[in-house]
Amino acid sequence: MAEPYLVVEHLTKVYERGQVLALKDVSFTVEKGEFLVVIGLSGSGKSTLLRCINRLVEPTSGRIFLGGVEITRLSAREMRKMRRKIGMIFQQFNLIKRATVMTNVLTGRLGYNPTWRTLLGLFPKEDRELALKNLERVGLSDKAYVRADELSGGQQQRVGIARALMQEPELLLADEPVSALDPATSHSVMQYLEQMNREDGVTVLASLHFLSLARRYGTRIIALKEGRLVFDGPPEAIDDAKFKEIYGEEAEQVEVR
Amino acid sequence: MTSEAAAGVRPKARAEGSTLRRRFLSFLLDWMIWGYIAYGVMYLLNAYWWTVPLERYYSTLTLPSWGWPLAVLGTLEMAVWSRNLGRSLGLKAFGYEVWGADGKPPTVGQRVKRALLWHLSVLPLGAGFWSSPERPWHDRLAGTELHVLPSSPAPKRRKALFSQWGIMSLLLIALTIWLGWLIIKIDPRVLIRRWDEGSRIWLEMLHPDFRYFARPDPAFELRNLSFSILDMAVVTLFMALLSTILGAALAFPLSFLGARNVMGFNPAGWLVYFVMRGLFNIFRSIDTMLWAVIFAVWVLWGSPLAGVLALTVHTIAALGKLYSEQVEGIDPGPVEAVAAAGGSRIEVIRYAVIPQVAPSFWAFTLYRWDINVRMSTVIALVGGGGIGDLLFYYKNQGDWPKVGAVVIVIVAIVWAMDYISGRLRERIV
Ligand SMILES: Nc1ncnc2c1ncn2[C@@H]1O[C@H](COP(=O)(O)OP(=O)(O)O)[C@@H](O)[C@H]1O
Ligand SMILES: [Mg+2]
Repeated sequence: MAEPYLVVEHLTKVYERGQVLALKDVSFTVEKGEFLVVIGLSGSGKSTLLRCINRLVEPTSGRIFLGGVEITRLSAREMRKMRRKIGMIFQQFNLIKRATVMTNVLTGRLGYNPTWRTLLGLFPKEDRELALKNLERVGLSDKAYVRADELSGGQQQRVGIARALMQEPELLLADEPVSALDPATSHSVMQYLEQMNREDGVTVLASLHFLSLARRYGTRIIALKEGRLVFDGPPEAIDDAKFKEIYGEEAEQVEVR
Repeated sequence: MTSEAAAGVRPKARAEGSTLRRRFLSFLLDWMIWGYIAYGVMYLLNAYWWTVPLERYYSTLTLPSWGWPLAVLGTLEMAVWSRNLGRSLGLKAFGYEVWGADGKPPTVGQRVKRALLWHLSVLPLGAGFWSSPERPWHDRLAGTELHVLPSSPAPKRRKALFSQWGIMSLLLIALTIWLGWLIIKIDPRVLIRRWDEGSRIWLEMLHPDFRYFARPDPAFELRNLSFSILDMAVVTLFMALLSTILGAALAFPLSFLGARNVMGFNPAGWLVYFVMRGLFNIFRSIDTMLWAVIFAVWVLWGSPLAGVLALTVHTIAALGKLYSEQVEGIDPGPVEAVAAAGGSRIEVIRYAVIPQVAPSFWAFTLYRWDINVRMSTVIALVGGGGIGDLLFYYKNQGDWPKVGAVVIVIVAIVWAMDYISGRLRERIV
């Protein structure tokens, strides 16, 4: 049998500042085309886990393989090249607020263009066309030359998705992509992720706050608790007992419809 | 005191071991305050009682040989007791407050005990701090704690005027005015007595002599050439413009080297950061006027080049520091996003950092432009060249009508530049 697409082995992360043990010996694998949802209380290490995979956060120990390449051994330059294939969207959208939507989307092509071009803002014509195509796909073609901070939260996150699409990613990391959005907008954003997963074959790793969303969109769920992996299985396998173990005794299930 | 009820909700932030330095500085502040008071009292006693000639006194500080140890120990004692018997300025300035370990305000007995025990615990080389820096012997034995209060919403407090630090602040201000009055020898009568001198100069300046506005003045020679007021005004303007543009252009790239978040948290990054910030601070703390003195000797006395160099160096350092602080204050989100998309460090700066800092960079640059315009008009005093050369030449000649003309031109330049930078500022904010 072939190697799984993403392999995380004994991943541990200790933040120097404050000596926080954010991840402790976490191991799991992801097959190509999966929609893996990471759940857990805030502070359980979800953001850290996702950021270790594209090495925005440097793991303390453990190994990560992506498509057979050991990410944790790549040099900074090789890692930058690798990041082209790993899209990422964020809880706070992380757009360049004072720049246009177009500029924001084009930053998804930074890894594909020589530095002298990007520094002058000279993106090739194909990139601009691709940007318009991706903006159309997320329903924002009329907003291309609007400043990013003039958009609503849901629209900003769709710009974030368009930016990730520009990378033509194989893997998409989504760190609580809908936590800053209201329920209705949440679903529309999640549906774009689902579409990327089903139609473009992008493997998705998304951390979500609500179990109901995780059940609705995930093909598999892993759960973190205080930096440890405490669950790995299909959405149906999370029963009441398991839920209480992950979220604590007092927790109640909240639905997001 | 009636705030016992509030004691329960008081956040129990105990002083950390790493704040030993803070604690020391806080004490040092109190000690210095008492030293200043002692100096003031001695000065006033001399002035009003022993009547030592004051001109001599404030610089000589005469004390008998046994006086010095007495003053040092006396002020030390005052510092200790003032810190324990109430909330001293040193405690207040660093956000400290003495509290009972039971969460109640300390009793008078505890306060006295703490002051007495302090001597045993601190004087023998700070022995009381060795075992537990957060809670030294004198705190543990007196059953007290030194709390750091959060600076945000304060629980109910006494009015400033009824607290030790409040009274102390008033006392210090009053003492400073009193001493200053004596030391500067403030005498408003001089203004009246010398009214004739003053009014003559004012009158002559109010009849400005603009004959040499556009024509070179043969009386004024700089390196065998004569200049008009307009000539010198143009030179001055370009001094200000050039030093601002050069200074900003050089400070811009350097400021990223002086920003911790751009340099990263690896040892090499730290080194560059510290060197850059150190240079900014050193060069900035040497005033433009001092730089002009140096460059006037180096280049040529009275050459505008010396002035431009001085202004540029100081501009680089001042803007460099302001710029780097802005860079450090950015939202890290976009930085993360650009890096995650495969952007290199320079692309991160171009796409995630610069858009965020651009407005404040412009604002600081315009602010610096205002400063440079003002400085360039007077930097000639120390050999930096510009319109000040004319000003000081005419002043030394006692040619007040011409001084009046130059002053009017200087005012016009400063006003016009202020207006322009003000309009530009409106556009960017
Ligand atoms: N840059 C950092 N420095 C120090 N500690 C951090 C840092 N980032 C996160 N942590 C700590 O690591 C733990 C995990 O945080 P995080 O991965 O953000 O969790 P989550 O995304 O699940 O809320 C938390 O205890 C958090 O305080
Ligand atoms: Mg998080």
